[in-house]
Amino acid sequence: MATLRHDSTGRTDPDAVDATLAASGDAHAFERLYRGHLARIHSLIRRMLNDEDADEVAQDVFVRAWQKLGTFRGESAFGTWLHRLAINVILGRRETLGTRRKRYVDGDVALELVPGRRSAPETAMDMEAAIGLLPDGARQVFVLHDIEGYRHEEIGRMLGLAAGTSKSQLHRARLALRRHLDP
Amino acid sequence: MTDPWTDRLSDYLDGDLPPAERTAMETHLASCAECAETLIGIRRVITRARALDDRAPSADLWPGVAAGIGARRSPRRFSFSMPQLAAAGIALAALSGAAGWVLSPGVPAGAPTVATPGSQPLVTQVRAPATGSYDAAVADLEQVLAAGRGQLDTATVRVLEQNLATIDRAIAQAQRAVATDSANLYLNTHLAATMRRKLELLRQAAALVAAVS
Repeated sequence: MATLRHDSTGRTDPDAVDATLAASGDAHAFERLYRGHLARIHSLIRRMLNDEDADEVAQDVFVRAWQKLGTFRGESAFGTWLHRLAINVILGRRETLGTRRKRYVDGDVALELVPGRRSAPETAMDMEAAIGLLPDGARQVFVLHDIEGYRHEEIGRMLGLAAGTSKSQLHRARLALRRHLDP
Repeated sequence: MTDPWTDRLSDYLDGDLPPAERTAMETHLASCAECAETLIGIRRVITRARALDDRAPSADLWPGVAAGIGARRSPRRFSFSMPQLAAAGIALAALSGAAGWVLSPGVPAGAPTVATPGSQPLVTQVRAPATGSYDAAVADLEQVLAAGRGQLDTATVRVLEQNLATIDRAIAQAQRAVATDSANLYLNTHLAATMRRKLELLRQAAALVAAVS
């Protein structure tokens, strides 16, 4: 039998209740879940893909979440389940978008294309913009590891890479961002 | 030429170097200003990355999501006050009565019945809650309510208990009805809706407990 997650104070995870309601067809409960998780999911998509497709992909993530709610068993937090589903959608979409726009470039070359920041104090937007300048592979590893907190072994499984490749992509991304933000 | 130690700086920072190499790296960092500076820069990048805030989109994407899941838009929100809790009890009693009407001898079993439009504006299809997760959700919320009932005033607890008892009777009645006519659309819709109402009422009650604690 499924069990509901409790937070550190022992209280029931309210998302798990809403997920149960939503799984039985209650779209009000699903809207609460959507509103509670939209910022995180949308930010993840913007960072891993791009700004212009983020709205459409976010909608797709939530529609797929609705369709798959029956597979949510409450063993992990709803947010964790949704986040993983979002990554799968993003990775699937990445290939389509990458092919369509021919944005795939060789990592070594592209990292050298990241320009240095010229002046003014750094802001969070500078960091977001700099992440957006990274080539796809390095960007995804950087977002998943340094922002989302996944381990290299998990990233390797998600992206179909060896853990060593994930490590080297991460290091190159960090060096490129350092050059960009601290020229 | 690139210092070969530079390529190991991320492994060092992430704790991925074996102890002997870690010690060797620390010795190197003590004497190599360039690597020490690069290390500080990488640390700063990681700190900035972890400090990034999540930002919601400027547009409300819910209409597109609602269309995608086949839900009709409704501005209705649940936020129970005491009068609303009392009203909910009356509504549930009416629902229970409706089930009784369906089961009365005048209504042939298996007769197709149509749910009243608007009665469940955002429920897109008949799906009874999955038993395992539903039971777990109900049990957890009942536990929260039991633990926090001392913090609610007596009148609130009384109304909640009356309403929950009404819902439980309605669920039991609906389950008996579904058992006798499992293909009846109305009965299945009624059972699913009543189960959802119980969960929703418990959720609101748990929120009430959290608000006063």
